Amino acid sequence: MPKLGTVTRTTLAAAIAALATATAATAHTTDTTITGAGSTFVAPLLAQWIDPLGSAYGYSLQYSAIGSGGGVAAITNRTVDFGASDAPLTADQFAACKGCVQIPWALSATAVIYNLSGAKNLLHMNGATLAKIFSGQITKWNDPAIRKLNKGVSLPDQTIATVHRSDNSGTTYNFTDYLSSASADWKSKYGRGVAVNWPNGTGQRGSSGVAAGVSQTPGGIGYVDVAYALSNHLKYFAMQNKAGKYATPGLKGILGAAAAQVKPDPKTNELSIVNPATKYKLAYPVSTYTYVIVPTSSPKAAALRKFLFWAVTRGQSYGPKLLFQPIPKPVLVVAEKTIAKIK
Amino acid sequence: MSAVPAPRLTARRFRAGDAALQLVAGAAALAACVVVALIVWKVVDGSLPSIHAYGIRFVWRVAWNPVLGHELYGAGSFLFGTAVTSLVALLTAAPLAIGVALFLTELAPRFLRGAVTALVETLAAIPSVVIGLWGILVLGPVLRDDVEPALHTALGFIPLFGPASASGSSVFTAIVVLTIMILPIVSSISRELFLGVPRELREGALALGTTRWEMVRGVVLPYARGGIAAALILGLGRAIGEAIAVSQVIGGVVGIHWSLFSGGDTLGSKIAESYQGGTTKLQVASLIYLGLVLLVFSLSMNLAAQWIVRRVARRQGVGTNRGGLA
Amino acid sequence: MSTHGITRADLQLVHLPRRRRINRAMELLAWLAATIAVAALVVVVWSVAKRGAPALNLDLLTRAPVAFALGPVKQGLANAFAGSLVLVGLATLMTVPVGILIAVYLTEYARPSIRSAVSLALDVLNGVPAIVIAIFVFGLLVVGHGQSGWAGSFALACLMLPLVARSTMEVLLLVPVSLREASLGLGVPRWRTTLSIVLPQTLGGIVTGTVLAVARVAGETAPLLFTSSIVGTQVGWSPNHALQSIPVAIYELSESADPADHARAWAAATVLLVFILLTSLTARWLATRGRRRLSTSR
Repeated sequence: MPKLGTVTRTTLAAAIAALATATAATAHTTDTTITGAGSTFVAPLLAQWIDPLGSAYGYSLQYSAIGSGGGVAAITNRTVDFGASDAPLTADQFAACKGCVQIPWALSATAVIYNLSGAKNLLHMNGATLAKIFSGQITKWNDPAIRKLNKGVSLPDQTIATVHRSDNSGTTYNFTDYLSSASADWKSKYGRGVAVNWPNGTGQRGSSGVAAGVSQTPGGIGYVDVAYALSNHLKYFAMQNKAGKYATPGLKGILGAAAAQVKPDPKTNELSIVNPATKYKLAYPVSTYTYVIVPTSSPKAAALRKFLFWAVTRGQSYGPKLLFQPIPKPVLVVAEKTIAKIK
Repeated sequence: MSAVPAPRLTARRFRAGDAALQLVAGAAALAACVVVALIVWKVVDGSLPSIHAYGIRFVWRVAWNPVLGHELYGAGSFLFGTAVTSLVALLTAAPLAIGVALFLTELAPRFLRGAVTALVETLAAIPSVVIGLWGILVLGPVLRDDVEPALHTALGFIPLFGPASASGSSVFTAIVVLTIMILPIVSSISRELFLGVPRELREGALALGTTRWEMVRGVVLPYARGGIAAALILGLGRAIGEAIAVSQVIGGVVGIHWSLFSGGDTLGSKIAESYQGGTTKLQVASLIYLGLVLLVFSLSMNLAAQWIVRRVARRQGVGTNRGGLA
Repeated sequence: MSTHGITRADLQLVHLPRRRRINRAMELLAWLAATIAVAALVVVVWSVAKRGAPALNLDLLTRAPVAFALGPVKQGLANAFAGSLVLVGLATLMTVPVGILIAVYLTEYARPSIRSAVSLALDVLNGVPAIVIAIFVFGLLVVGHGQSGWAGSFALACLMLPLVARSTMEVLLLVPVSLREASLGLGVPRWRTTLSIVLPQTLGGIVTGTVLAVARVAGETAPLLFTSSIVGTQVGWSPNHALQSIPVAIYELSESADPADHARAWAAATVLLVFILLTSLTARWLATRGRRRLSTSR
């Protein structure tokens, strides 16, 4: 056997080192890692759950906020353990996901943010005017329609710069759902969806992208989960509900909207609380539930069940400071029944 | 020492070692070819649903409507964005790059030559995500607040210079970013080309009494013509394929807008933004179809450039075997 | 007599003052072009360094990020630094042996037709945009299995392979034929000649090529976007899960609204730039040293 040359020896040494590192690294799996992807809307709440989950069960939660559309795609491809989406799954998506269930696990609102220097917070806005702004029919901040809603407030002669989501977003679904419900014109021209054919404005990725876009654009207007408006100190509108009252995206307004549908749909578990009827006087009209999508048969079934039970019970207590309203009892009951189906 | 063949035992062992190395090395080369074939296959296979649905018309259709029930996709808007950003960036970068190369080969004093060469090559080493970061946070606001309003006031009658962008994210910002990215490539290739012009030709022209510029215009540039074309095509290919920096600064807007200050989107940046979030199978397939269009364009650019380089190198007698095996 | 584009009219002495003026103007333009190019680099690097330096602290390297912090909180990008180390390291381990083997095959064994075919494949691989490589690796390794460090490293390896193979080939061709013939004449079998005599001569060139490829790939974002981006905040070293990386972290932080996020992005960009500049300089120094050694050894 010839003596091994320098090159061979170095290569062998490198290969052994690599194998050793790889085995050492992979042997270190004491935590169960639960991976998820999807909605940026629920990301702030999930971020609060990482540490408590680690100390309660030793679970390591890895979540990537790539938008609701991405979450549905990821769980359909089984590249993650759970998907998160604010837009409820369609029949086609349920079929493509092959045995997935949809569980409402958080409740919050979409804030309509604006960047107007010198203006105060909580200016008034309603759905019809908002639809006209995003469809390009109203282009200036001092348009008579906006002035009518905000009597006594001086609005500048500045162009409105709309910012929307460029990725497939459940927040877009919630926002366009509201615009469609408030404006027949919007409904016929653009409709509702995780992405629509925006006629103007710039697109940004993620709710944090929209928050960034609006905060860096004088005269900007956009829509984000209210937690992003809070954390970035952005101004947002008080939206007029069907009862004529101006509601803010706080816990009271969200709870008021949640009264519009208390029992989830028996087949799909979806709930629609956008633009509630006149009798819900306190409702903030752009509120929404957000869902976790899980397959009923998963290699991590036990961990998922424990995680989700915790999420819909203990996890809700982390919500209020981020303006997530704990889910009401009837919804919780249905959620727990559905979680039990995961095997 | 006479060439006596070694004893049969060792000869067989030698042949086994030779065969083994040839096999393993050949397997590696085969693996590379297989990977390339797999890339093409995966991209074509992934876009098949969209190809079936839309055919070739997808390539120029200007539409991207993801609303369920009204889904309609097309690459036209992104092809336009890619064409505008890459071509204008090339038009801007080419004279600059050739100017830099000429500076380095003709004008630079010795101590500056090495330093400037190193600096320009360092520009090539900056990752695209860092340039994109700089574009969003530094370049964008400057363009939005100072440059674009000035250009709009001065040249606003041309549709190219519409109202300034509201956020700093626009086609114009993307063009500036791409120019910075392709400048070093074109410049370093041009520099090598100019260095390769035979001394006799240059000195001959100078001996006839031409000025330096006349010598460059009459001898250097015509001689390097083919190579410069290749460099330009390579730079264009680089600009076409850039997805990250462009997606950070271009504004994510679908449709054809003539103003450079409006938002836009390119093939690469659309894929980077939307691929992970593709909701329906048709949308994912359409995004991969965008990737197929991108692949076809950037591959043809790259191969065309390399073909030109090889032809020019052969003509100039610069072989690829420099003292090794034939 | 005309030499390419020089006409008789150009050489007229009577036009000399005008010709000299044009020459001067062109020289100024060339100086201007060089100044603009250098200025662009200086502006970018200065912007990054100016904004990154204040945020550069040990926290950046040692603390994990805190997702969605409501107030100022001590955090860093430890998971991104760890992940980048693993991803680039694994990619290098995947690429270098394969690249060397391909180069050996092309220079020693391949018929001209096969050599041009494989060279073409390498050129094509080099020309595929990184975002398309991401789509490819996603379809190949991620669908059905989930993202992982392996998938991310493989995507980076696809980008590195043409560079390593080509640079190894160039140095292999520089080894004088006489060395090979001497070894074969002494009775050393061909495979041992290649492995123990020829390759060690090229080690310097291989290292240079690898270092350059590492510098190139350390800053790549697109290949990791769909293959290794769904990550948590904890520091992970196992390639079985998706790992955060510095370029992807910068990409995500750059689109955030929080100025503290921007500060961390600038700091990470500064570290990345310094790393890439150092590796490029090292590669260049190694290259000039290697060239000097080869020329003196002849």
